[in-house]
Amino acid sequence: MEIRTRQFKELAAKWMKDPAAAAFLRKGPYIMSAKRENALQTFPDIPEAQAYGAVIRAEAIARLPELLEEFEKNATANGANVIWVRDSKELNETIVRLIKERGAPYVTKGKSMVTEESGLNDVLEENGIEPFETDLGEFIAQLLKRPPFHIVGPAINVPRQEVCDIFMEKAGMKECTTDPVALGYAARLFLREKFHHVQVGITGVNVAVAETGTIINVENEGNIRFTKSSPKTQISVMSLEKVVPTMEDALHMLRLLCRNCTGQRLSSYISMDSGPKKEGEIDGPEELIIIIVDGGRTKIYQDVKSREALRCIRCAACLNICPVWRTVGGYAYGFAYSGPMGQVLNPLLLGLDETQDLYRATTLCGACKSVCPVGIDHPSMFLYYRSKDVLADPNFEAKPRPAMERQFFKGFAFAVNRSWFWNLGVKMARPFLNKKAENGVIRKMKGPFRGWFQSKDLPAMAKKTFHERWKEL
Amino acid sequence: MSSIVRNEILARLKAAPKVAIPPRPPKPKLHEHALTGEAVIEKFSKTLVEETGIVHRVKTPEEVLAKLAQIAVEEGLKKVMASNDDVIAPLNLKAWGEKNNIKVMVPKDYPDRNSYRDAVFDQADAGITGANFAVAESGSLGLAFHKDQARMVSLAPILHIAIVPVDRVLAYYEQGIKKIFGEKGKYPGQFVFITGPSMTGDIEGVLFKGMHGPRKVIVILIG
Repeated sequence: MEIRTRQFKELAAKWMKDPAAAAFLRKGPYIMSAKRENALQTFPDIPEAQAYGAVIRAEAIARLPELLEEFEKNATANGANVIWVRDSKELNETIVRLIKERGAPYVTKGKSMVTEESGLNDVLEENGIEPFETDLGEFIAQLLKRPPFHIVGPAINVPRQEVCDIFMEKAGMKECTTDPVALGYAARLFLREKFHHVQVGITGVNVAVAETGTIINVENEGNIRFTKSSPKTQISVMSLEKVVPTMEDALHMLRLLCRNCTGQRLSSYISMDSGPKKEGEIDGPEELIIIIVDGGRTKIYQDVKSREALRCIRCAACLNICPVWRTVGGYAYGFAYSGPMGQVLNPLLLGLDETQDLYRATTLCGACKSVCPVGIDHPSMFLYYRSKDVLADPNFEAKPRPAMERQFFKGFAFAVNRSWFWNLGVKMARPFLNKKAENGVIRKMKGPFRGWFQSKDLPAMAKKTFHERWKEL
Repeated sequence: MSSIVRNEILARLKAAPKVAIPPRPPKPKLHEHALTGEAVIEKFSKTLVEETGIVHRVKTPEEVLAKLAQIAVEEGLKKVMASNDDVIAPLNLKAWGEKNNIKVMVPKDYPDRNSYRDAVFDQADAGITGANFAVAESGSLGLAFHKDQARMVSLAPILHIAIVPVDRVLAYYEQGIKKIFGEKGKYPGQFVFITGPSMTGDIEGVLFKGMHGPRKVIVILIG
């Protein structure tokens, strides 16, 4: 998948004009937020439940190396084969090798965001292995070759006619229909054939339990259960921050995840794997391979502030509530993660230079922070990234700001530190600025300040400053 | 190769600055913590119905068989795949099937994965299973898989019928999970929570059931 985080503005402008995306955004995010609110009412004390999630994730991140060792030890004792990989390239190569060794012509995939990050599907295809995304939304997004619009409903913005067209073209559907249920059924039949004969299944991991060496998947459709039950080989990929200390912690995180994500008390299927199938079982994998991916997380971990981003459990509550996401939709963010979650994660995963607009496309209103079940302070992260960007911190892959901008702010800093200079500047700027004013407001400006005036107006300057008037009193 | 990478990753994490582990507040309260007795069963039934599951309650194993026969007629079942777990085995469903003219298959009938997959994917009109426990908190069934409880019996057929003795209906997850994960080294290869039918809202947010798994879940409580 092509990374397009540099094109935030173009993509946002393009998709804001898309009628189907706009139609979804007018209602979808509000309904999803309302469902979440409603589901949280099942907790006797909502802030207490949310805060406990933050404590679990904070502890998990603080104790990360130790918990990973404990997880690995227990998963291995359960009979799983645990493999560690550094980055996307190693992850893709490892999976290709494992599949080729087993001679599987295709794989079914349950939703895995970390393989979305690594662009696994493209690499599988290059190697002659057909990947089938099996979550309905992911399946549609894959056929359309689009990134996820929403992390939970990856193709929720795609109009039914377009789904029909692509199913006719690529999923063997015979007769066109715009009934979502009939479309879903067509996908069921197509993918059922794949589940029936699959030899290797690939899934992600929602939660890994250190105490028991168990991996947990959360889903509604059953595609992950098929992917973990039908084939002989199960490959489950987790980025290394998924671990929590105990099974009781995992249960609380599941309660929080399902409520905050889809507004359910529990999603239809929660499956917990502790090793491969046992002697005498007719289905389930003969081998369970768990791949633990660094994927830039150890680097993020070096900075105690950035590290907070690793608490994220991908519930997407922050997308649905965000005034920016609600306006531009998911494609604008140009990578696997969109919304505030993506604005926090993508800059750390891809570097601050590559993601300039992401941590600036925010009102800093804090709606995201207010719904987050793991206590991430998104606005403070955005401000932190901006400061690191201005400082051109190489640890964040930030590059120096343009020379003109730096010169301007040097001059600005000089001026605001010296009252005489500032007052002189005000006097000089006033006639120049006010010449552009219409009805007391400056609406646009040519030259280097053009961008600022694209979305903001400046009131014309008063004839005299407060100080000047004070002296005359 | 992998162990070099492993050590490298862990070393990087261990070399990073340490932060204090935040203190744990008391575990969050749940309404279900206070539930006992009949109220647990009521809550389970109510919650599962909210999740579009169907709940019947009968008194005896004979009544279970009668209820199953009635469901078979209503749903037009010709062939079913049944588990052989500790709830289902004593019901002797093969005999029930002969009496009611329904072919009852069990995973053990099949010599290998492929022939079993053919049956469970293409032939079974319904899957019949027991459950290790059920939970009132979310109307969920808890199934641990083992040689007598195959994974796809509750997944591949379009209808899932689960039979649960009422003394297995618990108020909240932890009560059941501690039985499943209580003894190290004895964990099931897989354990699932099943909450209502398979569903999706991925096309324009329109919710529908039976995306990949069952379209309908029927629970028969005994006792």
